[in-house]
Amino acid sequence: MEPKTGLYIDTGYGIGEALDIEALKGVATDEFKPAVCKAESYWSDPDKIEIIKSDIASEGLKAVVIAGSSPRVYQDVFKFDGVITERINLREHVVWCQPPSHEDTQMLAEDYVRMGLTKVTKYQDKPPFTEETVKSILVIGAGAAGLSAALDAANAGYEVFLVEKEAELGGWANKFSKAFTGEPPYDQLVDSPLKSKIDAVKSNAKIKVFASSRVYAISGAPGMFDAVIRPDGPWIDELNHKQDTWLKVQLARQKQAQEGGTAEAQTEEEKAAAGGWAVGEELALDFPHEKVRVGAVVLAAGWRPEDPAKYESLGYGKYPDVITNVQMEELARNGKIKRPSDGKDVNSIAFLECREENSENPFLNNSYVTCLVTLKQAKYLRESNPNGRAYIFYENMRTPGQYEKFYQTMQDDPGVFLSTGRVLGVSGDGAGLAVEVKDSLLGERLKVKVDMVVLATGMIPVTEDSAVVNLRYRQGPFLPKNPYGFNDSHFICFPYETQRTGIYAAGCVKSPMDFQGAESDATGAALKAIQCAELVSRGEAVHPRAGDQSYPELFVTRCTQCKRCTDECPFGAYDEKPDGTPLPNPTRCRRCAICMGSCPERIISFRDHSVDMIGSMIKSVNVPDEYSEKPRVIVFICENDAYPVVDMAGINRLQYSGFVRFVPLRCLGNINLVWIADALSKGIDGIMLIGCKYGDDYQCHFVKGSELANYRVSKVAETLQRLVLESERIQLFQLSIDEYGKLPDMINGFMDTLSQFDPNPYKGF
Amino acid sequence: MANEIIVEPDLQFTKDLIKAGANDLKKCYQCATCSVACRISPDNSPYPRKEMIWAQWGLKDRLLNDPDVWLCHQCNDCSTLCPRGAYPADVLKAIRKMLIQKLSWPSFMGSLVGESSMAVLALGFPALVVLLLTYFSNGFNFSSPKPVHYGQFIGYIPIQIIYTLALIFAVVSMVFSLKNYWAMLDANNPGAGQGPRKGFVPSLIEALKEILPHSTFKDCEANYIRYIAHFLTFWGMIGLLVTTAIVAFNIDILHLAPPSRSGPGTIPIKILGNVSAIAFVVGLAIMLVRRIGNPEQAGNSSYFDWFFLWIIFGTGATGLITELSRWAGSASGAYFFYMVHLMFVLALLLYLPFSKFAHLGYRTIAIAWGKSVGRNMTVPVVPNFVPPVRAEEPEAAKEATV
Repeated sequence: MEPKTGLYIDTGYGIGEALDIEALKGVATDEFKPAVCKAESYWSDPDKIEIIKSDIASEGLKAVVIAGSSPRVYQDVFKFDGVITERINLREHVVWCQPPSHEDTQMLAEDYVRMGLTKVTKYQDKPPFTEETVKSILVIGAGAAGLSAALDAANAGYEVFLVEKEAELGGWANKFSKAFTGEPPYDQLVDSPLKSKIDAVKSNAKIKVFASSRVYAISGAPGMFDAVIRPDGPWIDELNHKQDTWLKVQLARQKQAQEGGTAEAQTEEEKAAAGGWAVGEELALDFPHEKVRVGAVVLAAGWRPEDPAKYESLGYGKYPDVITNVQMEELARNGKIKRPSDGKDVNSIAFLECREENSENPFLNNSYVTCLVTLKQAKYLRESNPNGRAYIFYENMRTPGQYEKFYQTMQDDPGVFLSTGRVLGVSGDGAGLAVEVKDSLLGERLKVKVDMVVLATGMIPVTEDSAVVNLRYRQGPFLPKNPYGFNDSHFICFPYETQRTGIYAAGCVKSPMDFQGAESDATGAALKAIQCAELVSRGEAVHPRAGDQSYPELFVTRCTQCKRCTDECPFGAYDEKPDGTPLPNPTRCRRCAICMGSCPERIISFRDHSVDMIGSMIKSVNVPDEYSEKPRVIVFICENDAYPVVDMAGINRLQYSGFVRFVPLRCLGNINLVWIADALSKGIDGIMLIGCKYGDDYQCHFVKGSELANYRVSKVAETLQRLVLESERIQLFQLSIDEYGKLPDMINGFMDTLSQFDPNPYKGF
Repeated sequence: MANEIIVEPDLQFTKDLIKAGANDLKKCYQCATCSVACRISPDNSPYPRKEMIWAQWGLKDRLLNDPDVWLCHQCNDCSTLCPRGAYPADVLKAIRKMLIQKLSWPSFMGSLVGESSMAVLALGFPALVVLLLTYFSNGFNFSSPKPVHYGQFIGYIPIQIIYTLALIFAVVSMVFSLKNYWAMLDANNPGAGQGPRKGFVPSLIEALKEILPHSTFKDCEANYIRYIAHFLTFWGMIGLLVTTAIVAFNIDILHLAPPSRSGPGTIPIKILGNVSAIAFVVGLAIMLVRRIGNPEQAGNSSYFDWFFLWIIFGTGATGLITELSRWAGSASGAYFFYMVHLMFVLALLLYLPFSKFAHLGYRTIAIAWGKSVGRNMTVPVVPNFVPPVRAEEPEAAKEATV
């Protein structure tokens, strides 16, 4: 067989006892004729590794296939330079989950050997994609997070370009009266801690600061981003308007596509907007600007205060003494707190949590930061006026971690009156304000008279108003957002990631956070940016397939310009050539192969992963005839979560039907419908797809993979009709990584469903 | 809406409460462990949780008009179980102190007794009176006559006059304050008077039925020793009062010799007196030892507590030492301690309505008031983990489905 292959069957872990190893070897040698075929126990032992190495040398093996433990273990041990290494999982996927010495178990193992050996015949020998890249870092925003990111990257030896839209560095953090210490005993406030950081940034030779400037455009890809930095001016509003128009057109088009209508004709303005951002077109840079080439970007653009106009019911706009927490910081900076309306000393303040009436998420813009700011500002009053009374009404009070200490300190202050309660309204009578509250801790509706009311308005990421990064990508200038207005990423599992490779978010642009949080967040994002610059310089993928040297290759001559790959790539890796064919940007690519699944012409492939490879593996499965009562099911599983689930089920010795054959994919979004057709026409009785949860709380490593798979599978009914097959033969399941206990029921339940149908009539064709 | 209140926290009151011993009142986060833990708190609107938030919010009027603060017998179950270390028992105690001071008449006496800065004056005044009395009686001659004859050491007549005046002052002041308190409770608890009310005398009798056998006190199981100590002190004091009254009657009306000159144990009055005195002193000693030795269980003791405790303990202790000195044949010892004893007794009488001693009046009145409006305080508190189904809920649900 080609390439020259050695098969090494591991008889340890109970494999030798559960299977007929000689028969297994027979299948391999009869059908594939590998150059070497050996069966011994524990090939991961050092002396066994030596045997493999000597075989490689003496026989000139080009591929080594280990049939034994899961490929998720011993990855470092089974690593042979210049040799394709493939693993067959006989342990977790066969003997640990099936009855030993059983006919079906043996058939399962034999099929996996066939699939593994078929797979290696489809490998292509390709060097990694490398291009000339740079490793400097662009940091957008010089607030608490941006300054830290810039310093961290510079101290790690990387050149940094720091862009700040204001003339002064420091951002909001520098405008506040006081800040939390972040140090024990956590009950004091200090002056803004940013000054030393600003000085350090200014004096750092590796950091070039662009103050009063914004990013006009970013084009290119990680390792070769070209950023145009332009002095701040009214152009930004014009640009925002253009981009908003563009976005509106996109959304309208998407909606129409979903509803099946035809797109309305674009207005001239929309055309102009879209045209202005056409990718590949040369930008007319007829204004003062600076162009820098960077390897990666840290987006630390921060936040802006929520518009308080919507809190009219709380008296904002009606009474001059109802102010926001941001205005309160300004008042507090001037020393003793004076009332805005008449300049009198303030003796009492009601701090109100902002509740957005008639909203699905009335507290969307509340965060632990707004809670802490309220407590902090109560301290301003108490410190400047010993007789001051601070009322704090809240429905949510969050003071995570050590901030509980600060909360306790404020609670202990006799002049701070804390109570839960729903604020009914604020009224004024000229002399002062009255706040009415129900459901208070006092058990009644209560009214307090105060000199001033401070609204705890929220923090809105600046990406809500502007794309900020202004990407010249075919998928648009924006970072995709989640339903809450923050840029979309898997923040719980993968902080710092955005949906645009090489751009890492840090600080309040990502979620509201305190100084200390923003600083540590910035460190993380800076390290991710550095990691990205380094990986792409070696032609390797970034997270989550960090180090993967394969990359998508397109056989463009067969492209029909359907644009599915460019549309469906969750990371905007594809731009578009003037002829409408996709223009790949390999360093933007995360190697999820969702594009491979999307392509109806099957022209996208990786050196170690292709439509042909998976299709051939499926076809290599031995399908018994319809009278044998041995159905066959192909289970496509996502490598990231579903594969570990199957492994864990094996580790826990959970037993399930032996008629299933797992085919791992890089992501469930990798599924190409041709594989389903291949399987069905081969006589496979049913197909399962197991992927991550999708929806608002998606768990997909590639954001949209399992959702796209679901979409594609829903379209497969047509194929089934053509083949006169029941649509229940294909089902998609969602599984999170801890749900291995559900796997047997899932599989056995599917087998029960199949048992209601006749065998696939295409068996034997 | 009927229940809307305009809240104007009295910051100074909260600060005063904190100063009066409620150091940790701000720590309360209203979890209500205290109200559940309390064995004698009524089911309906239980204390001390509500008092805690009122105290935090400086709601002076509510706290001073709240009879529940006197229903608490300070067993400290709430304080030891409080997850936040807010010491609710200490808060109630401080409120009681504030109330005694607020209602004290004449008012300067309240601060004289309540402020530690006034200690010298408060203690010095009765001491000076007795010293002057001694000086003008016999010029500090502690050696004669022998055998001991207290009537010749200090004349009975001036003692009778001064102590009767002090007693009248105390009783008048106490009655005046208590009358005010009753009227205040009536006026400021409008909701309480809605049902049928009992008269003062039947309520008082009902209250005394509870107080005399210490039946509620006994319910504070966690602190049973305190019940014993208070029971001994209480009945010891009553025994001593009875003894004093009989002796005074014997001397003044029947012109008999005082028992000190009739030999020990010869007449029943001496047995009553001595047994009462021992019970009194033992009870107080238990209290003192607990407060000093186990403050965690006994609660934090403030100046207000110590002032009263030491004076009442001093009264009993010096009385006993005087008698023992006489038995031991030390006339000068007996005379000296007799003089000190008189100082303590005068202080006890004078400060009755203003010191913690006044609790005997206020607590009785508050309990009686509670009886009169039907606040049932003897219902045992059974933790009820299943909230009662609210009647309006099914209706609301019906409406929703319609």
